[in-house]
Amino acid sequence: MLNSLSLDAINTLAAIILLTDFMLVASSRMRSLTRIFAIQSLALGALAAVVAFETGAEHIYIVAVLSIVLKAVIIPRFIDYATTKIQVKREVEPLVKIPGSLLICAAITLLAYFVTEPLMQQGTAITSNCLAISFASVLIGMFLMVSRRKAITEIIGLLVVENGVFFAAISTTYSMPMIVELGVFFDVLVGVIIMGLFAFRINRTFDSIDTSILRGLKD
Amino acid sequence: MDSNNLFYILLALAFFGAPLAAMLNNKPKISAAVAFGASAMASLVGLIIGADVLLNGPMRLDFPFSSPFGTFAFAVDGLSALFIIIISLVTFAVSIYSLGYVRHYYGKYPVGLMGSLFNIFYVSMIMVVSSSNAIMFLIMWETMSLSSYFLVIFESREKGTVGSGLFYLIMTHIGTAAITIGFILMYSESGSFEFSSFHGAALGMSDLLRSSVFALWLVGFGTKAGIIPFHTWLPMAHPAAPSNISSLMSAVMVKMAIYMLIRCYFGFLGVQDAWWGVVVLAVACISALLGVMYALIESDIKRMLAFSTVENIGIILMALGVAMIFQSYGLKELAALALIAALMHVLSHALFKSLLFMGAGSVLYAAHTRNMEKLGGLAKRMPYTSLMFFIGVLSIAAIPPLTGFVSEWLIFQSMLQSFNIPDAIVKILIPVALGTLAITGALAAAAFLKAYGITFLARPRSEGAERAEEVPGTMLVGMGILSALCILAGVLSFMILPVMDEVTSPLIGVSIGEHLISGFLIVPTVGEFSQMSPLLIGVLLASVFVGVLALTHLYGGRRKVVRAGTWDCGTPLTSRTEYSGRGFSNPINRMFSWVYHPLRVFRSTSHISPYVKSDMRYTSTIEPVFERYFYEPTEAGVRWLARKVSVIQTGSIQTYLGYIFVVLILLLIVLR
Repeated sequence: MLNSLSLDAINTLAAIILLTDFMLVASSRMRSLTRIFAIQSLALGALAAVVAFETGAEHIYIVAVLSIVLKAVIIPRFIDYATTKIQVKREVEPLVKIPGSLLICAAITLLAYFVTEPLMQQGTAITSNCLAISFASVLIGMFLMVSRRKAITEIIGLLVVENGVFFAAISTTYSMPMIVELGVFFDVLVGVIIMGLFAFRINRTFDSIDTSILRGLKD
Repeated sequence: MDSNNLFYILLALAFFGAPLAAMLNNKPKISAAVAFGASAMASLVGLIIGADVLLNGPMRLDFPFSSPFGTFAFAVDGLSALFIIIISLVTFAVSIYSLGYVRHYYGKYPVGLMGSLFNIFYVSMIMVVSSSNAIMFLIMWETMSLSSYFLVIFESREKGTVGSGLFYLIMTHIGTAAITIGFILMYSESGSFEFSSFHGAALGMSDLLRSSVFALWLVGFGTKAGIIPFHTWLPMAHPAAPSNISSLMSAVMVKMAIYMLIRCYFGFLGVQDAWWGVVVLAVACISALLGVMYALIESDIKRMLAFSTVENIGIILMALGVAMIFQSYGLKELAALALIAALMHVLSHALFKSLLFMGAGSVLYAAHTRNMEKLGGLAKRMPYTSLMFFIGVLSIAAIPPLTGFVSEWLIFQSMLQSFNIPDAIVKILIPVALGTLAITGALAAAAFLKAYGITFLARPRSEGAERAEEVPGTMLVGMGILSALCILAGVLSFMILPVMDEVTSPLIGVSIGEHLISGFLIVPTVGEFSQMSPLLIGVLLASVFVGVLALTHLYGGRRKVVRAGTWDCGTPLTSRTEYSGRGFSNPINRMFSWVYHPLRVFRSTSHISPYVKSDMRYTSTIEPVFERYFYEPTEAGVRWLARKVSVIQTGSIQTYLGYIFVVLILLLIVLR
């Protein structure tokens, strides 16, 4: 099995990921959202690197580097650029208030542990925490998308979901084949760009990126 | 050359013809020649394939690939071959007819696209009857429905056409849904979508499951066939479609449903319960009777033909129902007889109904109206069309020795055998159906007497009819082929029936070919029950006719022809004094007013004295019973449900994401 140092490192990084999830829910400013997301991606990349070191699978190093470059640098920069372009500073009035959101996210985390517990009996993941946290990450990302109004926060929510899926893949199966990973990275990048462009469009058409205005589009 | 290669040739002809015709859309003449030339050649190849299979046994054409749903292959056995022959015969005649008929579309509508779809339509029908796999069948079935839908809405700028097409599209998809569910239930039992695996799979099914499959298929295929109450698309779509298309749809496409019903009930499910047959018989009786009654009072000639299709499908299904009843009691010889009668009527109806629709198309082509009340006097102006329409009328009215007579006589004969059934109730029910068939026949004769008399005889009732001229030669040739076949298939039925027997014997498990035909005689059952020979009747009728003619010439003295005006009491006779179509059908309208619920309004205005009317108007409409009591409530129900469900459609992204989120959480908890 793993040596204790690596195990500690992985656990710590997983904790950081969970912590950043909560910070994302708690923050109400656009710029801090992107910062926190960058930190989360950095932690994830580091975690991938540790896993790569442990398993000796070289391609995970590449995945780790790509993850850091793409998700901790390029995408946050792009989103920052987009927010300054559209001039959104605050996530005004989330649909669920921040204390409530935090409580819900706590419940989600508990649920994630509850749901993954039978899976942990098989003992395939690196640590029992990793799978639960990745689940929690996916669900919290979805919750972000559900509870926030601005198009940019929706994008961040989706990226958090993606990070959760990536984390799950890394921690249970020591990452997917290289080609799949590359495909996923490419998808995410293109997805973010497209969604960013959509945010521009929504802004131009409705003078706001409040997606609840899109309600008027239904027949 | 064997059938496999011929099959490739058929596909190649249609698959080159279709896109080529579409590409040449800007040159309508060339495009029509390419499209209908290709379909005529393909249908000739189809005829050869059908004949080859009937003579030399089944063929199978495997594809070099397999799908998740099993292997796709074309398999043509006797039943398929018979239907391939019917499809191809009609398509060949209609293709030639279309060459002339599409002329009046030049410059108005895209003829090339029609020709292209025509080829696709033909090939899809061929593939429907030769599919060997349920999924492949559904794809072909859907291709057939969609191509016919686009053909129905061809005259898209006419009022009401697109609406009729949409209605047809909705109905056919409801039917397809039922069919699909039936196949999935079969799959759940057999574990494969191959038709070959369905055989006998029903034995392991529970009664409830088997009966649900039966009912689903009856509804699904019945919608396509046009059984009441799912018939409403026929009188909408057939008049809206161009006449060559309605000819194909009414004569052939609805028969695809009959083909599948025979294949499914006798092949896959194996008829075990007598009540299935009783249900089919009951539905069939209602369809036949109501179909002909609505046909009788209709004055739009194509709508009338569409209702007559409902009636004839009813007659075919009567024979099918009786066959199912006999089969369930183990009376296999009688079941075979009834099924042969059903197939014979499928052939008869395909021949005369396509002939009649082409005749109606010719009338429309020449006089620019489908309304009988505006026609009349066409017999003089269009003698050939008139003659051929008359042959169709005689055939559909079951006048010996034409083909309609032979098939209906066989159906009567098979129903008369119901005394062999051990169950008393069923024994009583079949004579009731027999009575229904008899009155249906009588009313059909009346309906077509009206159609022919009002349309072709007397004086023209409108400008259009006045100026009508005989249609182009290609149209006449198309109709001529079918009129000749209507006579031949009747007179030579003693040669056709053994072929039908060959087709039904694998399905029923017994062959009655040895005693069915003896010389020129048709002998339905062993013993001295009944026998008939259309050939001898034909010879007899012809010799009586010739004999009388000869005798009058020999002994009748010199004939003197005097031409003078009819005595008219001093009032000039115009077309307004003629018997109208509505007047003709009015006695029956009154007799069956409990069916029609007629609404008659009579208005007159008079200025000087009540005896001098300046203006008189009479309108008579019937209540559309099925629309009002079946379709309108259903539609209202669907709309109500849709409104209720639309509450969850808030239009906000967050709500939709929320649905996904909640469902995900619930699933995680439930399936932990």
